[in-house]
Amino acid sequence: MNDQQNMVADMVNSLFAGLGPKATVAADWQQIEELGLSTLLLPEADGGFGGTWQDALIVFRLAGYHALALPVPEAVISARLAAGTCLSGRGTIASRAEGTIDGTTFTGTVHGAVASEGAGFIAAPDNTGGTILLDTANAKRTAATNPAGESRDVWQFDAAPAVRVADDVFALGAFARVAQIAGGLDAALGLSVGYVNDRNQFGRPLAKFQAVQQSLATFACESAAANCAAMGLAQALDRGAASYEVAAAKLRANRAVGVGTSAAHQAHGAIGFTQEYALHPITRRLWSARSEFGGDSHWAAILGGLVAAAGADRFWADLTALTD
Amino acid sequence: MQTFAIEPLSWPDQSAELRRKVRDLVARHVHPANPADRTNCWAVADPAFSRVLGEAGLLGMTWPKEYGGHERSPLERYIVLEELLAAGAPVGAHWIAERQTGTLLMRYGHKDECRRWVPGMARGEIYACIGLSEPNAGSDLAAVRTTARRDGGEWVIDGQKVWTTNAHNAHVMIALVRSEEGSERNAGLSQFIIPMDTPGLTVRPIYDLTGGHDFNEVFFDGVRLPATALLGVEGEGWKQATAELSLERSGPERYLSCLTLLTELIRAVGPNPSDSVRALIGRLVSETWTLRLMSASVAAQIAQGVDPALEATIVKDLGNSFEQAMPALIQAAVETDLSSDTALPIMLGHLLQVSPSFSLRGGTREILKGIIARSLGLR
Repeated sequence: MNDQQNMVADMVNSLFAGLGPKATVAADWQQIEELGLSTLLLPEADGGFGGTWQDALIVFRLAGYHALALPVPEAVISARLAAGTCLSGRGTIASRAEGTIDGTTFTGTVHGAVASEGAGFIAAPDNTGGTILLDTANAKRTAATNPAGESRDVWQFDAAPAVRVADDVFALGAFARVAQIAGGLDAALGLSVGYVNDRNQFGRPLAKFQAVQQSLATFACESAAANCAAMGLAQALDRGAASYEVAAAKLRANRAVGVGTSAAHQAHGAIGFTQEYALHPITRRLWSARSEFGGDSHWAAILGGLVAAAGADRFWADLTALTD
Repeated sequence: MQTFAIEPLSWPDQSAELRRKVRDLVARHVHPANPADRTNCWAVADPAFSRVLGEAGLLGMTWPKEYGGHERSPLERYIVLEELLAAGAPVGAHWIAERQTGTLLMRYGHKDECRRWVPGMARGEIYACIGLSEPNAGSDLAAVRTTARRDGGEWVIDGQKVWTTNAHNAHVMIALVRSEEGSERNAGLSQFIIPMDTPGLTVRPIYDLTGGHDFNEVFFDGVRLPATALLGVEGEGWKQATAELSLERSGPERYLSCLTLLTELIRAVGPNPSDSVRALIGRLVSETWTLRLMSASVAAQIAQGVDPALEATIVKDLGNSFEQAMPALIQAAVETDLSSDTALPIMLGHLLQVSPSFSLRGGTREILKGIIARSLGLR
């Protein structure tokens, strides 16, 4: 990290640590606004931070690390997508749209809109590619939640004004989840290591049992893989097109979720299963994030299809060309 | 908690050109009669091909020109390594010498020994083996019992090494032996460079479960070495050998041993495979993409002068698990007649048998996880 990134990381880390999983948009969004965090990816000339996707990785990863209950990654991504449009207010993103676009209006349903109560606009995937930006003014919201209790609303639009942009909100949403998974796994690993060092059974700390050590070592490897995948994807987004890397990174992060959450809960025993203990805000978010913006079957079909279509003789050449 | 330094990677400017050079070389020289030789290819020795690489300036790339090296960056060397492995090129003859023996020799060895061995390694003519394991010192390396004792100005080596890969092709070995009589565990150990044709040294083959000849027993019966054969500081062998393990564990060969099998699968199933095969390809490519970034970032840290011992351990453990799982996953996904004489079943049949060794060689999975656990603060 460079100096500026270290500064952002320190600032965001202490803010998110204080807010954590109990924050609400109604009570706490003001603190995000005061920092201007939503403008992270807007050019400095437009009053933004002029940040890169690698900067966004730092912020999104910390949101995952602290199980932050505020739609910060979603606000950052939607603000970037809506740059230059006349849409205003806090934006958010959604994972699915069903309906028809008729010229400049959209009629249909949007699913998985993140913490969208009070949002000014929603960026939703355009089924023909890219994104549609939808003003929420005359639309109807039905509240829904994912297994972690996070708001994932359904919206009904009737001939609502729609702005189409080329960037793909579904891919960017997947990036946000990869970064949050990377952070969440590191947090769950830290909790697990702390717990097995503190907890004594059979007259010694759990950490001294080889079976426990090996399980958490496996967890650490998966956590490392998710973090590297997130960095690889952020670098790809900063270079431009990243369809290959989004698929590869989300698949890898999803895989790490399974190994990591199992190891974390196994290490904690029954206490990790209680409402009062701090593990579930992380692990329940991880299980939810695994499905959001594309689960394994979605991205594996895309990546496998891409590679199979290119053929055996292109496989390695295409992979290395991503970074050359 | 963050266990892996995730600095962004900058690849060298001339990457594409360097890749083209390696690919051209492989296309011209590598045409194995047996498709199995394109798998686990860093265990396949072909001295003629090693000399071709040496002539092309692709060995000892990071070494000083004084010793026949080319003073290129570690990431440029990394590119050459990953290209050779991805193509399944037979790099086994020189692999150990180029990966660790030459580097270790220049770091700790006497100038005379460097001059004697390193230029030939860079030419692809001098090969090496590693003298670590012994009959009663496998994962418990500190139990080594082979001894070195002073006799006038010379050293005399007695004892035995085992599981010594490439000893039958090698000209030289770096061995870890007990140089202080009565010393225990990791104290009193030293490293020596030993010519394989020294009187008193005998190599006997050990055939693996496929009938292949990869590793050996090496016996030392009064093997006399000059004073210059001692590497580094007498008694500091343990520290030097563990630093050597960072070199040994960090390379792309720790996840790429089966890559040609994946390439062959893609060839065999064609552009429109079934949903399940497409999903498997997607998953394996995702792992390959991630491991490549992890492995290259270890190389980048070495380039910056950092010893990424923990990161290298993590990459080896993940990489071994990946390459070890791949043959069985492919076997499950496509119906294959393993007795047929086409490429995919031949490669698959070979890898099903040799892949159990991937998480043994260079440090077992259990040892690696123990190292990771220690870094987490669990031991």
